Amino acid sequence: MTTPGTAKSVHTFTPKSYNGASFWKAAWRSITRKTSRIIGFAIIVLFTLMAIFGPYLYSSHLPINTNAIYAPISWKYPLGTDFEGTSNLALIITGARYVLLAAALGALFTVIFGTVLGLIAGYFVGWSDSIIMRITDFFLTIPSFPLLVVLSTVWNFGHPLAMGFILGITSWGGMARAVRSQTLSLRERGFVEAARGLGLSPFHILFREILPNVSSYIGMNLLTSITGCIYAEVGLFFLGVVPFHVNNWGVMLNMAVFSAGAMSSPDALPYLLSPLLALLLLTLGIVLFLDAVDEMFNPRLREDV
Amino acid sequence: MSDTSTVNTESAFKDQKQKMAISARNINVVYATPTGDIPAVRDVDIDLPKGSITGIIGESGSGKSTLIMAIMNAVTKPGKITSGSVILNGENDILQLSSEKQRKIRGKEIGFVFQAAQNSLNPLRRIGQQILDLGRAHEVNDLRELIKYAKRLLIRLGLDADRVLASYQHELSGGMRQRVGIMFSLVLNANIVFLDESTTALDMLSQASVLEIIRELQKEKNLTIAFVSHDIGVIADLSERIEIFYAGEIVEEGKTSEVLASPKHPYTKGLIKAIPKISGDIDAAEPLKGSSPDYRTFKQKGCLFYDRCPIRTNSCQDSRPELNITNRDHKVACFRVGANDRD
Amino acid sequence: MIEIKNLQKFFQIKAKFSNHKTVHAVRNVNLAIPSGGALCLIGESGCGKTTIGRMLCGMENPSSGSIIIDGQDISKLKRGARAKLLQKVQLIHQDPYQALNPTHTIEQMMKATLKKMAKQKKKDADWIRQRMDELLKLVGLDPETILFKYPHMLSGGQRQRVIIARALTVEPEMLIADEVVSMIDVSLRLGILKLLRYLRERHNISILFITHDIASARYLGNDTELYVVYKGMVIERGRTERVIRSPQHPYTQALLSAMPILKGIEKPGKDRFVITSQFRQSEEEPRGCLFADRCPFKQSICDEKRPELVHKDDAYHACFFPKVRQVAAESI
Repeated sequence: MTTPGTAKSVHTFTPKSYNGASFWKAAWRSITRKTSRIIGFAIIVLFTLMAIFGPYLYSSHLPINTNAIYAPISWKYPLGTDFEGTSNLALIITGARYVLLAAALGALFTVIFGTVLGLIAGYFVGWSDSIIMRITDFFLTIPSFPLLVVLSTVWNFGHPLAMGFILGITSWGGMARAVRSQTLSLRERGFVEAARGLGLSPFHILFREILPNVSSYIGMNLLTSITGCIYAEVGLFFLGVVPFHVNNWGVMLNMAVFSAGAMSSPDALPYLLSPLLALLLLTLGIVLFLDAVDEMFNPRLREDV
Repeated sequence: MSDTSTVNTESAFKDQKQKMAISARNINVVYATPTGDIPAVRDVDIDLPKGSITGIIGESGSGKSTLIMAIMNAVTKPGKITSGSVILNGENDILQLSSEKQRKIRGKEIGFVFQAAQNSLNPLRRIGQQILDLGRAHEVNDLRELIKYAKRLLIRLGLDADRVLASYQHELSGGMRQRVGIMFSLVLNANIVFLDESTTALDMLSQASVLEIIRELQKEKNLTIAFVSHDIGVIADLSERIEIFYAGEIVEEGKTSEVLASPKHPYTKGLIKAIPKISGDIDAAEPLKGSSPDYRTFKQKGCLFYDRCPIRTNSCQDSRPELNITNRDHKVACFRVGANDRD
Repeated sequence: MIEIKNLQKFFQIKAKFSNHKTVHAVRNVNLAIPSGGALCLIGESGCGKTTIGRMLCGMENPSSGSIIIDGQDISKLKRGARAKLLQKVQLIHQDPYQALNPTHTIEQMMKATLKKMAKQKKKDADWIRQRMDELLKLVGLDPETILFKYPHMLSGGQRQRVIIARALTVEPEMLIADEVVSMIDVSLRLGILKLLRYLRERHNISILFITHDIASARYLGNDTELYVVYKGMVIERGRTERVIRSPQHPYTQALLSAMPILKGIEKPGKDRFVITSQFRQSEEEPRGCLFADRCPFKQSICDEKRPELVHKDDAYHACFFPKVRQVAAESI
């Protein structure tokens, strides 16, 4: 005699759900596979922490010490000081937030906008494809740099969100085109056709069937977008085209070269080199980590149990 | 007296060796995988008599393609040949030669076509250009004559030769690419030809005509052919001798009609019962039990076919069976030859 | 349950010098498959058999003719009703690897459609899990060892079974098996063929079996029908065993003659012959019989008039000079 409770399913088989678990495990495994990747990962984590917690380590107005202008490297000032006697290290750490946040937002915007439009254009083809591609071409042909210069006259880029948005708007075009071409070839694959035949919705097909197959490309592009955005904004500030509102690495470079004559006078050299070093280190970290991204998203490398 | 007799046996032995186009002994190939070393080919001896057609049957992953690659020393990482000798035309062990000499042998003496022939052609060069590349790599003097010969072969294989020579790989269909692959294996006039799954992308009529051409060419030039496939029908139709490959080993070999008419190994018996045929009662067909060998099977001490064998006994787990002669040149590797399911 | 009448399909192909060439891919095909029945379409690649299959499940639109599923002509229905009806016909592709999303585990893949079905039937997560279990077992797989795997971890035969299980999630009435065993080792094909036969005989699912290998068509059961297709036209038709043992059309005979003989087990049919000329997409439409240029038995009238499919003695053929020839291999 079985009670209604047990009668339902005597053999409740719960399959090992490998959904979430395997991706993170596989991601960690691919990172730890090579030392170079671990180093890259560590650098990125370091800068991220810097961006989040950096400003809390110092008071909102960094201390000025008129006695220590362009001081050489010492224990007190590990990276030297600037024209006001503020520690360069403090400047780097507090400046990280703007730089990284703007770049991350810019990259995020690029990737999200570019991916969604690329997927829609590549899957539905027809007139939606034509419209989206014309818009993309338009944005691609706009020279982003002069646009940024012009916009800077009317817009205050004090908030990293504004900078991120502008950076994103000008760079999603390439991404959209690439995702579109991948989608065009994926939509002919058997499993997409099968999904259509099984009556699955276009939303499901785009985001659950096709998107995971483009994820490796998206992941890598996210990282390279970040480096691209960093250089773009630092470049803008360096050239002095964008007004100096905030304290960040690009501003430091600008000040070091144009105001302090760091190119000719050796005293101001640490002031020039500190932001450069920060930039280089961060880029290195991203590049080393990039190696792991392709592997992370490749299901063929998930090991069989 | 004893001198003459030793001289006689020596020359008889040499004679025997001369009759063999390829005489491979003790071939062992190991693949390094995350789950351990897998012996893809284990202690295989194989002879290809001059002017014969030998068929090698095995499932995908049984190691049959690896064996052919090993004979040409073309095994790629993570595979590695750990032992073996391959005597070509009774003369040299080609596995001991320098890689330059081996490269020359591949193509000139041994023509071969990869299983994925569709993908082994260079996608960026036209077919005609690739023939010229091949000719130059093997120091062929008269390249024009080579192209003419290639064209003749293509026409015989049923293709529009001029069109094919001017095309890129992606412009040809799967069946066309397979036939182009066969042409490549024959164009340098090698005496020994290895064909690996050369007709799988062809439908019935094309396959029949390609097999017919292979038969004709073999007769004309007295070629030695080794044909590797999972398709028993094609092999049975084409070859005089047959080798049954399972999990890296030869489990049965002999004359084709004899092995098929009276198979001795339980795998061979099961295989014949499991294939769809145009003749016979459809309800008599039974699929093979169990599943293909994986890395766990290879760890077994005993016979690798144990898990799927209908006539096994406990003693079959103790050691691996060797190839033994049952009659004339029909050999089987099984402890229980002659036993029935009911025993 | 599914019928087609006068089905035609024309394709426009861009020829080299920008003139569009019209290919008559499917010519006036009529067929009917009862519930639980099996019909085999045999022919060379490019003969139109795949196109017929794709039109039946809605992947292609016919140029003319009607497709009637469960008594309803699908061209007369609105999009929603049409899609719903076409879901009853599921296509199984030839390449099992391409037909599976490499980034999904088998469980994720099955759940995608089962969630939809569960919503429709107002069932819960337990039902989904049970159904997954049930369907995988039905196709001969062990759910515990399969569900968590990715497609590249499975063998070809397992993939094909998984695909059949997926097709069964939407409870189809017919499966179109398009060269489903061509990419599987010959020694493993029987398993899939037996599965299709089982689905027919026990679950009343009709099968349209498209193949170029006539031998495999036999194993779908003793009561199957065989249609031989040449350049889009059905040129012979009848019960499978009958067409194999007593073929009337020279093309059917050529196909059967081309089958390799298993030396030692089979002997060639006494009338066996070989055709040497190749199949080519014709440049112009021939006026007479489509097969005339390759037919070893052709006579002058064959180039002038095209034979229609005629019914005679329980079989159909399209030839002016049909003659039964024993070409298929027989057991020794």
